[in-house]
Amino acid sequence: MAIRFRQVSYAYPGYGLGNYDAIKNITLDIAAKGEFIALVGQTGSGKSTLAQHMNALIFPTEGTVEIFGKIVGPKRDRTIKYNELRRKVGLVFQFPEYQLFEETVEKDIMFGPMNFGVPEEAARKMAWTALDLVGLGPTYLKRNPLNLSGGEKKRVSIAGILAMEPQILVLDEPTSGLDPRGKATMMDLFKSIREATGKTIVVITHDMDLVYEYMDRVLVLDKGTLAFDGTPDELFRKPNLETLHLDYPATIRVLSAVAKDLGIAVDIYQKDVAAAVSAIQKAVRP
Amino acid sequence: MVMQLSFLEIRNLSFSYNQKRMVLKHIDLSVEKGEWIAILGHNGSGKSTLAKTIVGLLRPAEGSITVDGTLLSDETAYDIRRKVGIVFQNPDNQFVGVTVKDDIAFGMENLSVPRAEMIEKIAFFAEKVGMAEYLEKEPSALSGGQKQRIAIAGILAMKTDMIIFDEATSMLDPTSRRELMDYIRELHDEGLTVLMITHDIEEALMADRLVVLKDGAVFADDTAEHLFKRPEAFREAYLELPAALKIYYELEAAGDMTPPLATTLWRFGSGK
Amino acid sequence: MKNIVIGQYAPGKGFFYRLDPRTKIITVVFLMVAVFLLESILQVSIALFVTLFLMIIGKISIGRVAKGLRPLFVLLLFTFSFQIFLNREGALLLSQPMNIGLYSLLGVLVLTVLWRLLARFKKFKGLLFLFWLAGVYALFAYLPAIGPIFKVFDFEIYESGVVTSIFVVVRLLIVISLSTVLTLTTKPTDLTQGLESLLRPLKRLGVNSDDFALIISISLRYIPTILDEANKIMLAQASRGADFNEGKLVEKVKQIVSLLIPMFIIAFKRSEDLADAMESRNFVPGKPRTRIHELSFGMTDLVTAIFTVLVFAGAIVLRVLP
Repeated sequence: MAIRFRQVSYAYPGYGLGNYDAIKNITLDIAAKGEFIALVGQTGSGKSTLAQHMNALIFPTEGTVEIFGKIVGPKRDRTIKYNELRRKVGLVFQFPEYQLFEETVEKDIMFGPMNFGVPEEAARKMAWTALDLVGLGPTYLKRNPLNLSGGEKKRVSIAGILAMEPQILVLDEPTSGLDPRGKATMMDLFKSIREATGKTIVVITHDMDLVYEYMDRVLVLDKGTLAFDGTPDELFRKPNLETLHLDYPATIRVLSAVAKDLGIAVDIYQKDVAAAVSAIQKAVRP
Repeated sequence: MVMQLSFLEIRNLSFSYNQKRMVLKHIDLSVEKGEWIAILGHNGSGKSTLAKTIVGLLRPAEGSITVDGTLLSDETAYDIRRKVGIVFQNPDNQFVGVTVKDDIAFGMENLSVPRAEMIEKIAFFAEKVGMAEYLEKEPSALSGGQKQRIAIAGILAMKTDMIIFDEATSMLDPTSRRELMDYIRELHDEGLTVLMITHDIEEALMADRLVVLKDGAVFADDTAEHLFKRPEAFREAYLELPAALKIYYELEAAGDMTPPLATTLWRFGSGK
Repeated sequence: MKNIVIGQYAPGKGFFYRLDPRTKIITVVFLMVAVFLLESILQVSIALFVTLFLMIIGKISIGRVAKGLRPLFVLLLFTFSFQIFLNREGALLLSQPMNIGLYSLLGVLVLTVLWRLLARFKKFKGLLFLFWLAGVYALFAYLPAIGPIFKVFDFEIYESGVVTSIFVVVRLLIVISLSTVLTLTTKPTDLTQGLESLLRPLKRLGVNSDDFALIISISLRYIPTILDEANKIMLAQASRGADFNEGKLVEKVKQIVSLLIPMFIIAFKRSEDLADAMESRNFVPGKPRTRIHELSFGMTDLVTAIFTVLVFAGAIVLRVLP
């Protein structure tokens, strides 16, 4: 396992555990390869706090996080190069405005690799690869990142992390503020990155439709505790998701209305529209 | 001839930031008092620009905007903003006051409302948006949804008849979003005119009428039920149909539709 | 970084909370001047007692004020030692020959390391420092003169040194306590409004105190937001390997740029948004507005003003009298 949380708690200075964005007694493992994980929960449930532990940006108040063999505890350990951990686990923040600052897209993407001592020419190559990976062509290289559209900025900020060649990619609400089409393209992008590189990808999101359709593991945070860790199928088959402040995906809601109104036996657990359609067809066709 | 004007009348409105590219193109739109209109459009379709133009924050290149019989101009912008308020997208960037009380008061202070009246109204409108216990709280102690509700209270206290919500829920989580929508619905039931700019189709369904913008022009202006009968129009405007209706049209295309199925899917999809 | 409280305002009830901020500002300014008019150690001691007495009747926790003094501890200590060694008049109170030699310096080194190691136990920081000071003194003064000696000098304290240093420190203590009481009992908004009201006469000189007060109150409101944001930007760039603690100077400059540019860009965007929000709520710069916060000058203010005048007059009388 690449990342192991062991009884991790974190409280913001001056505020006790159980307060806004704190996390409590979290134990979980994340593999280095092939996982596609959704991290969900209400605002203030501690999602971002948990994510920032994954690359040792913040240290637990209690417990330990093992990241690629290095054990991160409450105290700074002088023998650990924390920067190296941040290279292995790339964290993309919610707002690209937090990180874009260079005058060209190319330079901005090179910032990460060069901080890790990659020579300029090699960093440039990494930037090109990363930009290609997020689906923006070489015409973007010399453009000013600040003049791009919201969706393009997000892609450039993701490329800025991908260029560091992290083994795990963590993204904080990458689809927020995008229109439905933008959301779907963003998720397709992660899917393609995953297929191309095999990296584990962790995505913080509020959108259950995306979770159900794309992800293969969900972590649910509720008031700072890990309330669920399993597959989306297991999660959405649970009754009373409202207690976790979560919605059911649209397909499940529609299909259960159909099953109830028509009194027919439909398998309501379908991940997307196409599957929902064939489930209905299966139920209604003689 | 006497023409009956709607509460908000937009005629042939065009706007551009730099002369080169028109952001809004010949927009015609009318909103009756007490109506709830949703403006839908993809990112970059000109929705927010339209909102800012209506309250005179941006000056149109051509066309006219009339609110309650008053033609918008530099001279009348002040009066028009007394009738039409706007809640913006970012909850943090529109919270002017140091406390909740100060923020609700801000608009009234600008209108030189006497202090005694302000105190009364602050209490009344804070109660209205469920924030009566938070009057002395600072913005850092509030959630995004609470800040948006305070913004509504501040606007209502200015005796506005209409509020424009410029993607006001887009930075909120689903729970706070629903909560905010419930408050808006209540206010609408009491007579508030609502112009809601959004790209969330489920939110748009609460409106009486949907106006779809595409590349700065009005692409469609109709009720949800009528619009949903033209799924191709949605695709053309880069929008997504609700999942239930996507299922509806796929079943129909495959020839597997039955009347009860159609009723359920349609009811579910159009929110009626 | 969430919920950063600005200033030291602590909600409470009591005499000072009821005062009009204008009264408080003027009172504090006048009392400060009065304290600087005092000349003898007896006078400032009385003034200190009066200050303490005021805090007690005003139900202000002296512990809280002391907490506010803590960051200024170094300044006070520096002033104290400066004065004690500078003034060399009056009776010689202490004269101690000091040897600065190899062993005593080594001793100081060991003591310092010990002090820094122990300082990790945060509880006794002040006490440890005093021990360290005493240890250094003892090493120089009482270590037998063995090994190489670099310098011998006399450590001397005169009467005037002790008197002046106490006088200066007590005076400083009073001034700082007074301003702490002001910020402790006055909301930042009230403070700016009080200032605005006091600056109103400047309107004739073309300074719009109204807008000025609004600028200050909006700045106060956004300080926590901006600090929170700066922290997030720092974390975002740290995620890209910008370690703000390490690195060479050139790298450091680049890292600071990577922090500042996003901060500025976000701030510009915010000011645009804010301007739109204010304008849409009919704010017009310079136009008269009513205020939800109203300042009212009451009986308590009158009594306070009279007290201030009396104290100030007393201080002048003391100064003028031979």
